Amino acid sequence: MSTQPTFEPPPSYSRFTRSDRVQHVVMLVSFLVLAVTGLPQKYIYLNNPYLDDLIDLMGGLEAVRVVHRWAATALMLVTVYHLLSVAQRVLVRRVALSMLPRYQDALDAWRSVRYNLGLAGQRPRMDRFTWEEKLEYWSLIWGTVVMIVTGFMLWNPIATARLLPGQWIPAAQVVHGGEALLAILAVLVWHFYAVHLRQFNRSMFTGRISEEEMEHEHPLELERIKAGTSQPALDPALRARRQRIFLPVAGVVAALLLAGIYWFVTFEQTAITTLPVK
Amino acid sequence: MTRSQQGLRTLLGSAFLVFAALPGLAQECLDCHGEAGTSVEFKDGSKKDVTIDASAWAASVHGEAGIGCSDCHTTHTEYPHLPPASGSARDYTIANYTSCQACHEEQFKRQLDGVHLKAIAAGNRNAAVCSDCHNPHAQKKITGDDGRLLPEGRVGIPGTCARCHGAIQEQYRHSVHGAALVDGNPDVPTCIDCHGVHDIPDPRTAAFRLASPRMCADCHTDTQKMAKYKLSTQVVRTYVADFHGSTVTLFQRRHPDQVTGKPVCYDCHGVHDIASKSDPKKSLQVKGNLLATCRKCHPDATTSFPDAWLSHYVPTRDRNPAVYWARVAYNILIPGVVGAMVLFVGSDFVRRRIDRRRHLERRHRAESS
Repeated sequence: MSTQPTFEPPPSYSRFTRSDRVQHVVMLVSFLVLAVTGLPQKYIYLNNPYLDDLIDLMGGLEAVRVVHRWAATALMLVTVYHLLSVAQRVLVRRVALSMLPRYQDALDAWRSVRYNLGLAGQRPRMDRFTWEEKLEYWSLIWGTVVMIVTGFMLWNPIATARLLPGQWIPAAQVVHGGEALLAILAVLVWHFYAVHLRQFNRSMFTGRISEEEMEHEHPLELERIKAGTSQPALDPALRARRQRIFLPVAGVVAALLLAGIYWFVTFEQTAITTLPVK
Repeated sequence: MTRSQQGLRTLLGSAFLVFAALPGLAQECLDCHGEAGTSVEFKDGSKKDVTIDASAWAASVHGEAGIGCSDCHTTHTEYPHLPPASGSARDYTIANYTSCQACHEEQFKRQLDGVHLKAIAAGNRNAAVCSDCHNPHAQKKITGDDGRLLPEGRVGIPGTCARCHGAIQEQYRHSVHGAALVDGNPDVPTCIDCHGVHDIPDPRTAAFRLASPRMCADCHTDTQKMAKYKLSTQVVRTYVADFHGSTVTLFQRRHPDQVTGKPVCYDCHGVHDIASKSDPKKSLQVKGNLLATCRKCHPDATTSFPDAWLSHYVPTRDRNPAVYWARVAYNILIPGVVGAMVLFVGSDFVRRRIDRRRHLERRHRAESS
């Protein structure tokens, strides 16, 4: 008599909420659209027929410039949403600030380099977010801020020239293009290696991470989860009370930020509209 | 002309065709046409001076080549000539310009596409045909044996165009290019270098506007030519680096008929009255006009707005330092950051392969023991 084999799903842990995953997809799509519409603009001077074809394929230069701005608006909206979701996490759920850089991250980075070079016996054991992930997250934050600020200057050159010397507009163009190239190359090297090439990390799409992956990449977090100390229990009544305060305040902040985005994208049309030729 | 002289001509009439067609024997025709004041009256009362200057003819390229009168004037096969078929002097000129085609097929075909012939077709009878620019009875040879225009030919061009376009020639004559041309400088452009010859395009089209920066670039990116005058060859590169320049060059490459108001060289520098950048009057004028030029498309622009255009200067520490340092920063940041990432990723990749191999070896040893 043979025993019926039982299929137990491999043990896994929740890593990203549905909100995180939706943010990631919106960000990913807008980033790709920004890159595909931005790079051929940056490199028009190269006189490259393939880049020219790409621009024509997307409806011509003037359409590309409009699409670029729509994608930028989407990225700004998801950035605002992200800010609010982080605020909710910190203020209402009081989760640990696991994405904040710590001194330990610098040590981990140093040890990772030494380990890879064969100078240290053991790979550093890391927590919920490895130093590589934090580097990428904060690079994205930094890059988004730089792109929004310089993007504003290029989108609204008259307002910019009123406040700053005129040469800051071509300077913003240099920074916008340089930061874009840096971001794209960093994604291609760092992000693709870490979550696609090394092994395909599905957690950003499924929301869950396997125990095996946890053991390899986030052993400290796994230890805490198993010890039951990862998330202090939160009194539901207290959480509900905080949420009641948070929601209206977040609503006001969201309204202000959305008004800011609206102002940003509608303030000047001079860089995009073409006046009829007399 | 007396009656007896006319009688003599009649006697010689039968021999007329033979002589007129023979090379170098235009003397027969010159007997009448060599006399000053000879003219033909047309039906509408207009008169055409048909006097031929014998010495000019002899020195002309056609005279030198031994072309006979009736080679071109093919209907003048007998004397007295048939009354002119054309209703007016101008009609005669326009009707007869086709006779150039027999020898100058290439130029003739090209001028069929030219703006002048289009103007004639549209009803402007004053637009130029071959003989308006090249007087066939006096035209000297203006090209060398290699087919290229001789220096004396180039110098004469503005004068030719000025027969109709006098006001423009006046502007050009005082421009930095025109003044140098009059001094015999072969480096500067004359009318045809931008407008072409024979198949001259309409300069008022979107296509001409988009193509114009290329025309300027032909000389202004030529390092040898520009070095002679200590001029920058970066003017086009710096233009293309700016939004307007990149848009205009892309349109020109892909959609040469695209209508655009984006500035091209001549919107700031002028068209025929282009002056040296060191001409104080002109440079102030360009600078002063910049805001007005910007406002054509950016009506709300304020005084500091034109500074967003770097006036062709390549950014340096001293001039436009914000742009210079932004470039320096990203020239360091991009290879620095991406290079460090590649190094770490590479080391990580290799290390993980080694770890994996060792792990498999250990397991293999454990299983086999």
